[in-house]
Amino acid sequence: MISDEIEKLKKEIWSSFEKIEDLSQLESFRIKYLGKKGKITSFLKLLKDLPLEEKKLLGKELNELKDELEERLREKEREILFKEEDKDLGLDLTLPGRSLSIGTLHPLTQIIDELCQIFSRLGFEVVTGPEIETEYYNFTALNIPDWHPARDMQATFYLKNGALLRTHTSPMQIRAMLERKPPLRIVAPGKVYRCDADIRHSPMFHQIEGLMVDRNVSFSDLKGVLIYFAKEVFGEKTKVRFRPSYFPFTEPSLEMDIECVICKGRGCRVCGSAGWLEILGAGMVHPEVFKAVNYDTEIWQGFAFGLGIERIAMIKYGIDDIRMFFENHLLFLQSFK
Amino acid sequence: MKIPISWLSEFIELKVSPEEVAEILTMGGVEVENIERPYENLGELIAVKILEVYKPEDLKDLAVCKVTDGKETFTVLTTAKEQVKPNLIVGFAKPESLTFGFEKVEIKSVKNYKSYGMFLSSYEAGISEEKEKLLILPENSSPGESIYKILGISEIVLDLAITPNRGDLLSIFGVARELHTLTSWELKPLNFEKSLSLGEKFPGKIEILDPDGCFRYAGRFFGKIKVKESPFYIQKRLWLCGLRPINNIVDITNYVLLELGQPLHAFDWRKIEGKTILVRSAYPKERLLMLDGIEREFTEEDLVIADAKKAMVLAGIMGGEETGVSETTEDIFLESAWFNPKRIRKSSQRHKITTESSYRFERNIDPEGVIWGLLRASELILKIAEAQTYSEVIDVYPKPFSSPKINLPTQKIVKYLGFSVPSEEVEKILNKVGETKKTDHGFQVVPFSYRQDLKIPEDLIEEIARIYGYERIPSTFPESILYCKGPSKKLEFERKLRDILKSLGFSKVITYSFIDPKSLEKLNLRKEDRRLNFIELANPLTSIQSVMRTSLIPGLIETACFNFFREINSLKIFEIGKVFFPTNNLLADEPLYLGILLMGNANKENWYENLRKFDIYDLKGYLESLFKTLRINIDFKPYSSEPFLKKGASFDLYLNGEKIGFAGEIKSLILKEFDLKTCVFVGEINLEILFEKFERIEKELTIKRPPKYPSTFRDVTCIIKKEIKIGEILDFVKTLSIPYLEKVKCIKIYEGPPIPEGEKSITIRFWYRAEDRTLKDEEVNDIQDAVAKSIFNKFSAKPR
Repeated sequence: MISDEIEKLKKEIWSSFEKIEDLSQLESFRIKYLGKKGKITSFLKLLKDLPLEEKKLLGKELNELKDELEERLREKEREILFKEEDKDLGLDLTLPGRSLSIGTLHPLTQIIDELCQIFSRLGFEVVTGPEIETEYYNFTALNIPDWHPARDMQATFYLKNGALLRTHTSPMQIRAMLERKPPLRIVAPGKVYRCDADIRHSPMFHQIEGLMVDRNVSFSDLKGVLIYFAKEVFGEKTKVRFRPSYFPFTEPSLEMDIECVICKGRGCRVCGSAGWLEILGAGMVHPEVFKAVNYDTEIWQGFAFGLGIERIAMIKYGIDDIRMFFENHLLFLQSFK
Repeated sequence: MKIPISWLSEFIELKVSPEEVAEILTMGGVEVENIERPYENLGELIAVKILEVYKPEDLKDLAVCKVTDGKETFTVLTTAKEQVKPNLIVGFAKPESLTFGFEKVEIKSVKNYKSYGMFLSSYEAGISEEKEKLLILPENSSPGESIYKILGISEIVLDLAITPNRGDLLSIFGVARELHTLTSWELKPLNFEKSLSLGEKFPGKIEILDPDGCFRYAGRFFGKIKVKESPFYIQKRLWLCGLRPINNIVDITNYVLLELGQPLHAFDWRKIEGKTILVRSAYPKERLLMLDGIEREFTEEDLVIADAKKAMVLAGIMGGEETGVSETTEDIFLESAWFNPKRIRKSSQRHKITTESSYRFERNIDPEGVIWGLLRASELILKIAEAQTYSEVIDVYPKPFSSPKINLPTQKIVKYLGFSVPSEEVEKILNKVGETKKTDHGFQVVPFSYRQDLKIPEDLIEEIARIYGYERIPSTFPESILYCKGPSKKLEFERKLRDILKSLGFSKVITYSFIDPKSLEKLNLRKEDRRLNFIELANPLTSIQSVMRTSLIPGLIETACFNFFREINSLKIFEIGKVFFPTNNLLADEPLYLGILLMGNANKENWYENLRKFDIYDLKGYLESLFKTLRINIDFKPYSSEPFLKKGASFDLYLNGEKIGFAGEIKSLILKEFDLKTCVFVGEINLEILFEKFERIEKELTIKRPPKYPSTFRDVTCIIKKEIKIGEILDFVKTLSIPYLEKVKCIKIYEGPPIPEGEKSITIRFWYRAEDRTLKDEEVNDIQDAVAKSIFNKFSAKPR
């Protein structure tokens, strides 16, 4: 019986189908069963001599088999092709890739950016100004007349024409107030200069100055802003303390310390056994400073603060020699990626 | 200011440990920088045991002792021949240590004998006045241990950083008074016997001729004093405060200065001509040989103390050599004065002298302390210098000091501090700094005479906050209008620039703004070059940092050197910083510049490509990427006029016809001067001009929709003469106004066989695209044929 033959064929087909492992086996399988001289084709040819009913029935069966087989072969082919691509490509994947190296920003630039961002979030505008200054902006307008001993606090580089290299970013308080009308909030980062050179002092270093002038801004507000700043820079758990201090251009004046990041207040080489590290100076703007810019002290009051960028970087990264910042050793710079 | 705890305790009973006293002072605004133990600072002053004693014949006055410090055995020479014997344990100073007499101990040798340190007398150990006898320690002391530990002697000294406004804290008594203010511990008042204020008639005359320079001048005469060494306790206290003892009179003036903060000066009465003491401004060019051995010439702005004939003292600063107290002095005049702080400061700066005395006068002494100081010194002179007679106190005080009346409204305190300190606390605090009265709206305060730093209501607010405790004032956030401005466009531009360079692999450096003028010379600049017209510092620390930079290049080359000599063989750095040019006024022109530098290898050793050095196309490529990202069109014009660049590998950079910088390879001869044995490429750009352009472009920026229809390209490959620059061909192509041309690029250059010598083969690719349709092949072919023909004709090109 031809139908028995077909059953036999089916069995043969599916059992040898299972054995197909690669594309060449698949191709010979296709030729063997589906080719022009293939077994299914041959059976189909045999059908034409059969009675109509049977021809119809078996024809359908054979065509279905053919279709199914073709479908399965397509699947099989895809399966094999996928597998082919998983084979060993002869690559040594232990080799490093073709990498490109990205540069780094100087650590001081990074700290300045970070601080500017922190104060920008509080609505402080970032401003910059000249590094060569006059006595007036650097000292006199800041309530430091030329006979004032406070000038000893800042060893000054003078230029031959009588101008000077600014010893702090505080002249920016004066410049910013003259250029603007109150209320205002500014931070001014930049280079400053003092005649001093050892492992803790560089003749050129960086500061950032902050100034807020408003109707009711108070000493408590200053504390609040500085605490926010310290926590943003050194972490939420940072402990701070405020000590009275003296700057001619602020009254009251304060210095802020943070608990030593190295020893956590127990006392160590970095904090000199005190357990605290001095971070910044600040205070309420002195009325004489407001007088210098013609601000009415009956209406306006404000606070100002200033801090050394190198100091923050040295504390943050445990650097003990300030000169490293200006040697620009590539390996040093690259450690701040 | 050094404050020995033992001295401080004479004025105030310290109820806590020295560490806690330090904490109280620091948190009150008197920063304690250090808690010192001066005996420990001397070095290794230890017990040693004498093992053997020799008295060699060739050493006359010396004995040689073999001693042990418990670990080692060594020899010590001593003049105390008769006192040393075996088994004695004595005080000993190791080499490198200091003695109380400020002597540095060293290894010494006499003939063939070596002394590895010295035996100490009690005096040399700073324990008692006994100078002749060796310091013998108890028999059970262990060798090697500190003598101070064995004897249980310790002194603690607080080292205070006094802010310039608080001259009143530059004394032991002042610090005691401040502690009293901060803690309310009881202050022991200064008391003087009544009789001390009286005396015989003053045998001379005192006059203030310059009342602007001297506000108060007091003094008295002492007769038949004995100038000699001070008693040990005075010497020790001076030593604890870092001063050297000289003789009893000088030591007493220093002692009172330290104790009460009142500077004093003692004159040899014999040397005062006409027994007249005048406080006057110096005569022009008046000269005086001063105690430091330097003769100085004064101006009329200097204040001097003079006698009938000559200047004797630069007032408040330093005395003259001639009229000072010496061994032979018998009678003295003792001065206690209050000089104008501004005048003292100016003189002290003019003559570059700072003394304990000028330091205090500059910072305001207590006008009332003038007399206390004089009385305290009198007490000591009578006791210690055994004065036989003394005169009345002369006190020339033309305009007695009165403190300002400061009105402090309560509401101002609250507004300023953002917090209301309880009224009774405020009153209590204000009473500590001055005479305080309640008024309708607050308080009226007349500060005590020693608090001349208190002038305005804000000063009092600080006192309230400080004494109440900064820590006890709450912290809040300011209330303000929301409006605020972000960083300026220029800062944003700078940020963008450095972010681009960073992603191109450059590291940002920061070099000093002051440079060595020689480094500019090394650049071989022409005489008239603007960069040689630099701004000079008047007081540089060193010649290598003595002028303000006019270019970033020297700093970048220095950085390259620093790295090169530290085995960095590939460097890509940039700096954004100001350079400084003089102007007609005080302020400088400070344009912001960008400098970049490439040094050495363009890549690192790796498995996929060969090592190669940077070349000019790397530099040009980086700059092109930078400008492209900024959307600024910069012309790279060969060749640069910069004399330090290799002409054949350099460009001047132009923006709309204006030169904004340069780029190129540094000449080998110049690198040689820096000992740099590698290649260096640099570029410098004036960012001020670049920024202006950038700002305009940013404003005008519009974005095009990406093309809809495909492009097609055609190549022209030909052989041309080697000298012909690709740029010339591309410039020529521009003149042809070719339709649909999108871009043109040279994609291949080849020299060498089979191309004949002196010629090169090039391939130029043309991309065509229409906006509204797909171009037909024939169309493009026609255009391209014409283009190729023009190029072949123009450049006498041959087909490949």
